[in-house]
Amino acid sequence: MGKGRIDNDIRTLRFHAGEMTQQELADRVGVTRQTINTIEGNKYSPSLEVAFRIARVFDVPIDRVFTYNEEG
Amino acid sequence: MDMAYREKSLWLVGLSLILVFGLYFWWVLPAPTADVLPNQVGLFVGAVILLVALQVVGHGLIAVLDRRTETDERDRLIGLIGERNGSFVLAVGVFLSLCAAVFTQGNFLFTHVLLAFWVLASLVSIGTSLWLYRRGA
Repeated sequence: MGKGRIDNDIRTLRFHAGEMTQQELADRVGVTRQTINTIEGNKYSPSLEVAFRIARVFDVPIDRVFTYNEEG
Repeated sequence: MDMAYREKSLWLVGLSLILVFGLYFWWVLPAPTADVLPNQVGLFVGAVILLVALQVVGHGLIAVLDRRTETDERDRLIGLIGERNGSFVLAVGVFLSLCAAVFTQGNFLFTHVLLAFWVLASLVSIGTSLWLYRRGA
């Protein structure tokens, strides 16, 4: 199975959510700010549970937050 | 430097291990004996007490200064990878200490090879975790 890449749109979603800070998002999701930072930078792929919690904060479907690119 | 609570905690544990057991080995290893002597046991107990004291005070200070002591799934994942790497080093240490127990007289070499590899395994575990934090895993 080829290695894909999970991209995300969290930075844009934060901007449209009243310029929500990483710390505010982290507090609402229940992770550290550093984890939000590494997720935003595509350096860490969160668990499904955290991914759903992030989507719920922005009130959007999960595929609006994360996209899977097969090519990598 | 932007560090989460867990990363600061790892720096504290790593540096206190290097300081305390560095001093212990610096005192004990230049004059090896066949068996562990009572004063060496005393030094070891003192080292453990100092290590615990440093870590309790250090973690208290980090908590007071940072006020954010939460950890999450990424911290746990990084910790598991670090522990896995450390366990390889510990396994080598257990094997070498068993060799020392079989092939040398007395218990000095056996206990100190085991202790040294326990410290080394802890440092490898901590070093792996810190590297993963810096790399942004």
